[in-house]
Amino acid sequence: MIPGIHLTPIGDDSVLLEPGDGLDPTDPNAYLVPLLAFLQKKRARFLIYDLKNVALIDRVYYEWMTAMNSLCLISGIRMVVANIRPYAAFALSQLISDDPPFACALDVDSARQAISRLAGSDTGTGTGP
Amino acid sequence: MTTPAPARRTTNQILIDLLMLNVGKISTIIEQQGHSIFGQANLLSKEEINDYSLEFLELVVMLLQSATHMDRRSAEFNALRKFFTTFSQQIQARGSNLDEFVRYIQFLQRVFLDNLEADATVDFAQSREILLLLASIFNDIILDVFHVYLEEKERTIQAQQEELRQTSTPITEIWDGVLTLPIIGTLDSTRTMMVMEHLLSRIEAERARVVVIDVTGVMAIDSQVSHHLIQMIRAVGLMGADAVLTGIRPEIARSLTSLNIDLGMVTTRATLSEGLKEAFRRLRVEVRQGNG
Repeated sequence: MIPGIHLTPIGDDSVLLEPGDGLDPTDPNAYLVPLLAFLQKKRARFLIYDLKNVALIDRVYYEWMTAMNSLCLISGIRMVVANIRPYAAFALSQLISDDPPFACALDVDSARQAISRLAGSDTGTGTGP
Repeated sequence: MTTPAPARRTTNQILIDLLMLNVGKISTIIEQQGHSIFGQANLLSKEEINDYSLEFLELVVMLLQSATHMDRRSAEFNALRKFFTTFSQQIQARGSNLDEFVRYIQFLQRVFLDNLEADATVDFAQSREILLLLASIFNDIILDVFHVYLEEKERTIQAQQEELRQTSTPITEIWDGVLTLPIIGTLDSTRTMMVMEHLLSRIEAERARVVVIDVTGVMAIDSQVSHHLIQMIRAVGLMGADAVLTGIRPEIARSLTSLNIDLGMVTTRATLSEGLKEAFRRLRVEVRQGNG
């Protein structure tokens, strides 16, 4: 149990991370080690970071996300960010000068589909009428 | 034996007496002028003009009777102002212009003065006071009417701006999960923000996976515009959708290279149709020509 973070194994070697109100992104060291310990314990290969309840991503929050992504990469875990709200995407696009180092998905389902493709077991079919 | 001099009438009392004695005449003049201005232009019906004329005279009498000196905060004065506000809103909605209505208000003021001239008992000082009183009342009313017109104009401008906003960002869902955004004209900071806000909301609402941004209608591009385009494409990516940029004219491509702008991380296609093909490819949609 990590205060401020809700972690749920959702199958396909994936863990869903939902940040809560208690998360303090100014202190990444308080979270990174226990988070990685949890992911390794669950043998996770993918981490889906759900930003559904995050209204705004500022520089501090973005740095926290990139720090987490770096930690995941070192451990062979791919991080996919899902559900960035339109306003947060807008604000973040003004803030950063390069593409983010992590993958982005429209929602958790899309993230899982992306993970399936990444894992080489894509089950998605073409869409459209 | 001398008879006592009659008590000097107040300004309000003189005007009340004037109205009481000449109500029929004044009412007729006002109605005639109302027909001349609003009736001929079909802005008001005959009944409406007559009703407005009578209501106006009633409100003026009530105002004059309410106190010896005019109080701008009194309920009677507010009622008169409200009457003109409603009146002007109604005729503005029917296509009248401000000039006509202001001329009408000035005419109402003149009617009182014209009839005052016939009253020999009113001395110069009283005439001056009446003139000041009427000017004070009608100036406030004209100001109110100006405000009503300005507010209405403001509303019209806002509505037109909103319409322009909608038409300047014609985002269309051309296929399930595929949005197209043709950009025409110049992309400045304000427009970029507007387009981005609209586009990102549509991505979320339509669950779009690919956005084709077509710049065929962009005639010139500078470093700021390209910066805005890159920001827009990045924001689309952050939402989890793919952006495809299409329709870059040769002269614009030349400008971009001259400005050392790197679009290496952006998927580009020559035309909108090529962009759509790319979108379909990403969605694994195949479009085939039917047999027969």
